[in-house]
Amino acid sequence: MTHTSLDELGPVDYLIVEFPAGSTTFTGEMATELVALSKAGTIRVIDLLILVKDDDGSIEAMELADLDDLGEIQVLEAELAELLAEEDVTHLAAAMDPGSTAGVIIYENLWAAPFASAARRAGGQLIANGRIPIQAILAAIEADLELETVGD
Amino acid sequence: MPVRASRVGRRGVVRAPVAKAAVVTAAVTPGPSPVAKAAVVGAAVTPGRRRRI
Repeated sequence: MTHTSLDELGPVDYLIVEFPAGSTTFTGEMATELVALSKAGTIRVIDLLILVKDDDGSIEAMELADLDDLGEIQVLEAELAELLAEEDVTHLAAAMDPGSTAGVIIYENLWAAPFASAARRAGGQLIANGRIPIQAILAAIEADLELETVGD
Repeated sequence: MPVRASRVGRRGVVRAPVAKAAVVTAAVTPGPSPVAKAAVVGAAVTPGRRRRI
């Protein structure tokens, strides 16, 4: 892993992608896209775990290294930083349904790092960030349409 | 919970149990015309859309 100064570090996010029991159809496409994002310098994968939540709620965490055939994702394995602690795994798995499998990815948004660094140098401070759910956008559009209908 | 030994006993970075988010695909697939619905969302985030203030 290359060392990055704190001032140059991009925002770090996590994703949990859940695969409900019986609906898993791994083709390697996700790995291909993840490696492509990494190679393009869009993100840097910091940690990656596969979580399995049994029907009784017990959790098993698998490392990439535990998997037999890593395929092209092997190039990421060597760069992982093992950021997540045991308690993180418990917190993240709380979102999973029993019987499901999930991939957890911790990644640095390399694309945002230069902008964030410039903002800090200018004296700016990040005071909020977040994601707008598609559901909220749909609700806003539907509200707009209702207003337009009422206005007719 | 079996995890790699190096992850045990360390301070965590996820501060609280994570709640399940609404499934994104569920928002755009239901209804008679999911493709049209997705197109509407696309239009909503297209530059030039009038801001409501």
